[in-house]
Amino acid sequence: MEQLRIRFLLNGEEVEAGVAPVENLVQALRRCFHLYGGRESCGQGICGTCTVIVNGRAVSGCLYLAVLAEGTEVVTVEGLSAGGRLHPVQEAFISCSAFQCGFCTPGMILMSTQLLEENPDPTDQQIRHYLSGNLCRCGAYPEILQAVKTAAQALASQK
Amino acid sequence: MSILGRSARRANPPEGVPLDYIEPATLGVAVELLASDEAARPLGGGTALMLLMRYGFLRPSRLVGLRRLASDLGGISVNDRHELRLGALTTLRDLELSRQVARSAPVLVEALHIVGNVRVRNAATLGGHLAHGDPHQDLPPILLAMGARAHAVGPRGSRWIPLDQLNLGYYQTALEPAELLTELALPVQPEGTQGSYTKFTAVSAEDWPALGVAVFFRRDQDRLAGVRLALSAAMDRPQRLAGVEAMLDGERPSESLFQAAAETASSAVEPMADGGGSTAYKREMIRVHVRRALEKTMRAPALRSG
Repeated sequence: MEQLRIRFLLNGEEVEAGVAPVENLVQALRRCFHLYGGRESCGQGICGTCTVIVNGRAVSGCLYLAVLAEGTEVVTVEGLSAGGRLHPVQEAFISCSAFQCGFCTPGMILMSTQLLEENPDPTDQQIRHYLSGNLCRCGAYPEILQAVKTAAQALASQK
Repeated sequence: MSILGRSARRANPPEGVPLDYIEPATLGVAVELLASDEAARPLGGGTALMLLMRYGFLRPSRLVGLRRLASDLGGISVNDRHELRLGALTTLRDLELSRQVARSAPVLVEALHIVGNVRVRNAATLGGHLAHGDPHQDLPPILLAMGARAHAVGPRGSRWIPLDQLNLGYYQTALEPAELLTELALPVQPEGTQGSYTKFTAVSAEDWPALGVAVFFRRDQDRLAGVRLALSAAMDRPQRLAGVEAMLDGERPSESLFQAAAETASSAVEPMADGGGSTAYKREMIRVHVRRALEKTMRAPALRSG
């Protein structure tokens, strides 16, 4: 199959990849860069396990053509930690035990960082609504809600 | 044309033929590319096309990516008729977060909060939402009731399409092959307009609607005026219900009037059975939800001008 060359910024680094025209972004990130944090599950943009940040906005990597990443800035869960330190949202997910199997966790964490960037002090209802496109089949929702609130406090105290 | 229609099937390349992707820099070239190959398809955010391709409903020879046209086909502004001009490549999320849209079309913003999820709204475009022709989309009934019109550019020139002429049937629109939506014009709603959108989902809260009800009216003394009511999702395309509007216009709102309007609405359309319910079930849901939508609109805040 013909390959299209794309160049983009991936977790802060300039990268180049050859992708098939039909390939989606999460497939390309896994195949070309061995980034396994984003994973395809429902394949319909409903479950949120394939969440990737493109130009500062979360998209469903399974519904996003890899070629559309050309010229963009892409962040995956692997790019959240800085200088060997986890992001406050990641820390909060650990301290609140906001997962069991962990399959939905990268998507939950990326969406939570987006929420807190847009709305640093969300209500329970706003958190539930924002994360309604992320499914956790272990049912860790109460802990996830707690983790987002804990992360919000941590981020606020950093300022 | 229809995404799932005749020409698309006939022109499908055999399985295994690679798809090609191209990003034209001008609208003219985009139209030319689409006109020269009937199995080519335009791609906005891709959220709907990716699903159609994944499930094998669509196997285009080539995707024509439109994102380089965003400077011309994006954006939210006010045109010289004081209408809200919404560029076709505006993402649903940009519409949802726009103060201008919130001011003149609060019902649209309320509905946008419950279209798909944040990620889908970050990618999906207004033009794609309309050109897709899926009867379950949330915005068409609202735009229809608001009297919106869409601008399209194709190989034979450009034209305005009133929204009540855009959807012809199930995944079928009035758009010709190679014709692209460029913008939507949303007329100024009269001062005092109250509106609502009701999304009824039969299976789960975040599901596609089994029925959508959009209602707008204002109150002239103690009577209803300028009533506009559109249904979607239950039928093969969104529809205005002129008969129901007429029986409400100029009348004093009352429980019995709303009940009668809901009864008329449920027999005025031909619901389509699908995963959201049978024809009989949807008829019953129209009866219930049109009445509730009218009551809800009575409680909705009145639009202020300026």
